[in-house]
Amino acid sequence: MKPLFTLLVFISTIYSFSQHSISGKVIDSKGNPIEGANVYLEGTYDGTSSDKNGDFSFTSSEKNMQTLVVSFVSYETFMKTDNIENFKSISVKLKEDVNTLDAVVINAGTFDAGEKARAVALKPLDIVTTASALGDVIGAFQTLPGTSANDEDGRLFVRGGDAEETQIFIDGIRVFNPFMPTGNNIPTRGRFSPFLFKGMSFSTGGYSSEYGQALSSVLALNTIDQPTQEKTDIQLMTVGVGVGNTQIWGKNSFSINTSYINLAPYQYAFPDRNEWSKPYEGASGEMVYRYQPNEDGLLKLYGAFNYTNFDVLQDNINFDNGFQFDLQNTNLYFNGSYKQRLGNGWKVSGGVGYTNETSDINLQNDNVDNAENSAHFKIKAQKRFSSRLKLNFGAEYFITDFNEDFTQSSTSDTFNFTFDNNIFGAFTEADIFFSKKLATKVGVRLENNEFSNELTVSPRLSLAYKAGKYDQFSVAYGEFYQNPRNEYLKFAENLTSEKATHYIANYQYTKDRQQFRIEGYYKKYDNLVKYDDVTASPLANFSNTGDGHAKGIDLFWRDGKNIKSLDYWVSYSYLDTERDYKNYPTKATPNFASKHNLSVVGKYWVDSWKTQLGLSYRFATGRSYTNPNTTGFLNQKTKNYNSVSINAAYLISQQKILYFSVNNVLATQNVFGYNYKNTPDSNGVFERQALRPNADQFFFIGFFWSISDDNKSNQLDNL
Amino acid sequence: MKKIILLIVVLISTNSVAQSKYEQGMAKAFELWGQQKTSEACQLFERITKAEPEEWLPPYYVATLEILGSFGIKDEATLNSKLKKAQEFLDIAKSLSPNNPEIIINQALLNTAYIAFDGQKYGMTLSGKNAALYSEALKIAPENPRVVLGKAEWDMGSARFFNQSIEPYCKDVEKSIELFNKEELPKFYPMYGKERAQQVLKQCKKS
Repeated sequence: MKPLFTLLVFISTIYSFSQHSISGKVIDSKGNPIEGANVYLEGTYDGTSSDKNGDFSFTSSEKNMQTLVVSFVSYETFMKTDNIENFKSISVKLKEDVNTLDAVVINAGTFDAGEKARAVALKPLDIVTTASALGDVIGAFQTLPGTSANDEDGRLFVRGGDAEETQIFIDGIRVFNPFMPTGNNIPTRGRFSPFLFKGMSFSTGGYSSEYGQALSSVLALNTIDQPTQEKTDIQLMTVGVGVGNTQIWGKNSFSINTSYINLAPYQYAFPDRNEWSKPYEGASGEMVYRYQPNEDGLLKLYGAFNYTNFDVLQDNINFDNGFQFDLQNTNLYFNGSYKQRLGNGWKVSGGVGYTNETSDINLQNDNVDNAENSAHFKIKAQKRFSSRLKLNFGAEYFITDFNEDFTQSSTSDTFNFTFDNNIFGAFTEADIFFSKKLATKVGVRLENNEFSNELTVSPRLSLAYKAGKYDQFSVAYGEFYQNPRNEYLKFAENLTSEKATHYIANYQYTKDRQQFRIEGYYKKYDNLVKYDDVTASPLANFSNTGDGHAKGIDLFWRDGKNIKSLDYWVSYSYLDTERDYKNYPTKATPNFASKHNLSVVGKYWVDSWKTQLGLSYRFATGRSYTNPNTTGFLNQKTKNYNSVSINAAYLISQQKILYFSVNNVLATQNVFGYNYKNTPDSNGVFERQALRPNADQFFFIGFFWSISDDNKSNQLDNL
Repeated sequence: MKKIILLIVVLISTNSVAQSKYEQGMAKAFELWGQQKTSEACQLFERITKAEPEEWLPPYYVATLEILGSFGIKDEATLNSKLKKAQEFLDIAKSLSPNNPEIIINQALLNTAYIAFDGQKYGMTLSGKNAALYSEALKIAPENPRVVLGKAEWDMGSARFFNQSIEPYCKDVEKSIELFNKEELPKFYPMYGKERAQQVLKQCKKS
């Protein structure tokens, strides 16, 4: 007994005498002391904070190998394992954490919306509260610089590119037919509802190698991971009705939204320039099922069905009784994706997109029936080596199968056009942070087109440097390839991809709720498709001999700080573009491009009324057109475009919202171009007709009601 | 036999030393907190978190201190760094003690810190989440005074926004005070809220 007791006493004495003192200094990468860093031995209670000189010292009774940890908010945690006796007067240099909000962001060419993004140009609510947007995702992005006002079309025209040059992705999967079909000069809308998305990124150039088949622009939309509560939404609108429901059980959730739109009552009340024998009628349904098998994995299945039909007689100078356009269209879209974090910095995701679209169109008496089946398969992996180095790579496959029957009434002849267009793509990209101030993204994309069996290699590079606390510079370069559009591929077999090269330089200043950015760019087009007939037709000869360029400056200013309750932004774009494509006899500025574009959007919250008032103004200089009465091609300009839109959202209670909006409240008569008669009159003059929007103004009144367990949510995000 | 007894005694005493080490550490951290040395308190809780990987209270308090400290911050990057850290520790607490109402309402408090900073940017998604979090917490612990109070205050906030009566929620506040009086908690367990409830009740009586 005794010896053991002695031993115990002896051990405890040693124990009390074997205190080690640990000391040192914490500094940043420039050698400045860091005050208040947490310094401790891992797994013990022994530790302290560094003082204002960065010095620390404490004692510990631990022995042998220990891990010294030094941590401080917005710096990377320092760890060193060594014998405890060696932790004396050590110098600890903390590296800045590059994943903080004030770190450099690689964003030349890109506007981000959503709360996750670091430099947000649009907030989630903006999509639905911008006066001119009418709740359309695309409409909201049209208030950003780099886009052109094309009210007769409604799609995104970016930096001198036409609408076909923009691709839209949902959860990384391409949407093949993202827009509703419409008649001539009637603006379209996106098919998807804005409240499906949590984050959006709109790139006007220089985008990541993950995205291909887009010459000008990419709009990437990410859907919400998990809805937060069960609810039922009811929408009563002047143009139709909608119902939605969300259910959550266990690790699953299911949302469905349906709507029925019929413009007959509206067109009866506010007749437009057309004669509608069947007014626009549309039924659509969207559903999302989400399943989260574990903390790190997520499955999303999204399906949408859309049916549209209308029959319209439009004034046309070349047709005495007007031009008839009758359309029936169904669109089925499915998008499924799965992502999983695997640990050790690995993340994998995969997805499938499938579209089936059929249209039955009558043009005067000619009939066009077409069917498109397209699919996209994609797999992607990400490896995070450290917070400073990330590698992305993946592969994808696109399938398009197109079939069209054209029946000419005069001859009763039927022509059949088909093509298959399959593309294989692979990409890799590295994100490298040299420091909190300097970062780069380097990538390359390979594509193989089956129809021309050509292999394209597109390098992409961007670099960003943070010059001060609030400002940064970035540059980007990239090569982009895109297949010729379906309208050409169905007639020609000898075509290859069109190409664009982007050079972008950007300066950005962000402070509090203010943001300023200026971006200059030069875009070069090569291998554009040309044909030698009046329209793209089976009789024309097609070639890839066209080219062009676009250069300009985009400015953006947003301020939600200086005036209480007012949030506003201003976008200005200067665009200089010319191209020789289609059947152009010479290089010219295409009709869709305006030299100067200005957008002003303001939102003012009136607290005592519980109402948000919104206003947006758009200005664009005239668009080019050809006057056959004079010489020259696309050398005339229409008058300037002006449009003011207003809206108001009144929150009746937590769950009931009354929404009201008017587009083009001043009823400005805008002209997008002219349609000339095919033959001159007796004086040898070609008569003309102005191309104008269907209706100068659009009114909208809606009542939105949400029913949920807690009586709290509303459809503000639905408007 | 004797040896075995000795061994047991030694074991027990080592064990009690470890126990008291945790208790000492926690007590020390609360003492620092009481002296307004919040960053030191936070750092000590952080060290205890690492040293006691089974206890949910230390990471819970790291998160709490970071969240409370983030209210009033004007710089978004600083706010984000603090709340990111808070989230990290709250996640540790969650994994150690799933479906814990205290942690759930702390998550709602964290979301509130974001909403308070920029309602336009964070309000749309996070206020829906908060409503859901409070409902969830109430389902698990209808008798937890902090849950009852938290939900009542959240509901009052939106009622005030719409110029509606806060009356219906005052009953809940009264109920929370009753519950606070009855409450008996283990050591170091979160026990704040009674004074707050009395303040809120005063506003109720005014209106």
